[in-house]
Amino acid sequence: MDLLIAGFGVVGQGVAEMVEMKAGWFSERVGEELRIVGAFDSSSLAKSAKGLRGGELVARKLSTGKVGKSELVERGKRLIEDLEYDVLVEVTPTNIDDGEPGHGHMLAALKAGRHVVTSNKGPLALRFRELSRTAEKNRVQLRFEATVGGATPIVNLSRELLMGESISSIRGILNGTCNFILHRMKEEGLPFPQALKEAQEIGIAEKDPAYDIEGADSTCKATILANAIFGLDRTYGEVKRVGITGVTEEAVSLAGDEKKVIRLIADVSRGRLEVSPRLVPMGHPLSIGGTLNIVQIHTDLAGEITVAGRGAGKLETASAILSDLVALMKQDSPRSSSRR
Amino acid sequence: MKVNVELRLKDVPGQLILALEPISTNGGNIVGVVHHRDVVVGGHITVNVTFEIRSDKTLERILDTWKEREIDVARFGSLYETFPIECLLVGEISPQELNSIVDKIESMEDLESVELRYSVSAASDGKAALVIGKVRRREAVEKVEQFLERRGKRAGFLLIRGLGE
Repeated sequence: MDLLIAGFGVVGQGVAEMVEMKAGWFSERVGEELRIVGAFDSSSLAKSAKGLRGGELVARKLSTGKVGKSELVERGKRLIEDLEYDVLVEVTPTNIDDGEPGHGHMLAALKAGRHVVTSNKGPLALRFRELSRTAEKNRVQLRFEATVGGATPIVNLSRELLMGESISSIRGILNGTCNFILHRMKEEGLPFPQALKEAQEIGIAEKDPAYDIEGADSTCKATILANAIFGLDRTYGEVKRVGITGVTEEAVSLAGDEKKVIRLIADVSRGRLEVSPRLVPMGHPLSIGGTLNIVQIHTDLAGEITVAGRGAGKLETASAILSDLVALMKQDSPRSSSRR
Repeated sequence: MKVNVELRLKDVPGQLILALEPISTNGGNIVGVVHHRDVVVGGHITVNVTFEIRSDKTLERILDTWKEREIDVARFGSLYETFPIECLLVGEISPQELNSIVDKIESMEDLESVELRYSVSAASDGKAALVIGKVRRREAVEKVEQFLERRGKRAGFLLIRGLGE
């Protein structure tokens, strides 16, 4: 199966490394090899019908800041329509204002009859229905395990493995940065600004942390779950959102007196869609500390299913992308079987 | 619904089974039976029974059967299922505002109890307060939370709700 990688930041590099790391594994386990036939970033592109070496692409990007030859950004985009490949791996950064350029990339690939695998939350949180309908219309798949929970399997678990279940709600912690801050406030009695500073110093929080601490990241993920698992038609702006910036040390301490912790919880069901800080009993699975992501899926037959894992990181996100790629490889889709 | 009754039974064999059987045939769950065999008054003994049933109609059927079987209900009390309210209010909230909030919640229907707690370990500077209580209907939890949310927007405090069920 041939890949075109759109975006070559941390996640794109992780995917390239993963493909090289797993060379041979695919043909042995899935029956065909995975090849990168093209990659582009905002100022350059690389392509080869014979396949590109993931390690070389990463080395070039790290030394020159570019994945390939300098080209106008439009030339990269044109590859989506012109190049021969099976799957677009769309890993450009999330843009929550208009979803671009990811949205345009995905739409072009789907219309060209290519599958899309992505970690890019913006387009799915803003235009989920448009993208999923385009995929359906063109008989290809849009897969997005990496958009929610990083390496923690949530989307495919809910949609595929729990297919026979009726899922009533999904609640969980979907942002490791917020969880780290709230955890440190509780453990060390730190005020919010100090816990945030600590998170920034050790690289858990961005220099501009607004996207995480104001709940935008968790809200994107909650929107995707609402649409993908509950069949709703919601966009980012329709989700009730409260971040953690108003959580004070007094609040954390008072919650502690009652054997509770404060956690930023995404709460998704047909009747409720919100991201907000909540009181969680100590010892409850959702009281988990550190940077892990965790979700509880409430089902009619299996009851509660809890999954936890790393919510971010280069290879962790590549792992989620890998699960989608393998799912595509295992399916006998007309396109991949005709190209084998 | 949980029900607690004190039954007066004739002090002859087989009476206890006669009293308990209508509960199980109507789908009730017997939680506890306390048999006061040592106190016999007028040829009757007292049995205290606690059981769970789904509806008032079931209870009516059980009470009717006891009546038919001449089993006296000496004392009757229903213990309703309650749902917890757990809301943390964060921000500068004046004591007057807090009192007014509690007064308003106390006037709401289906309220079982409500109380206000402040932090004991942090410096008590009125920047956080916890509203703890119980209501008799699940919908009432939402009603209290919606009221606190509206109040929070007006008064400028952050509402942190419990996780619920």
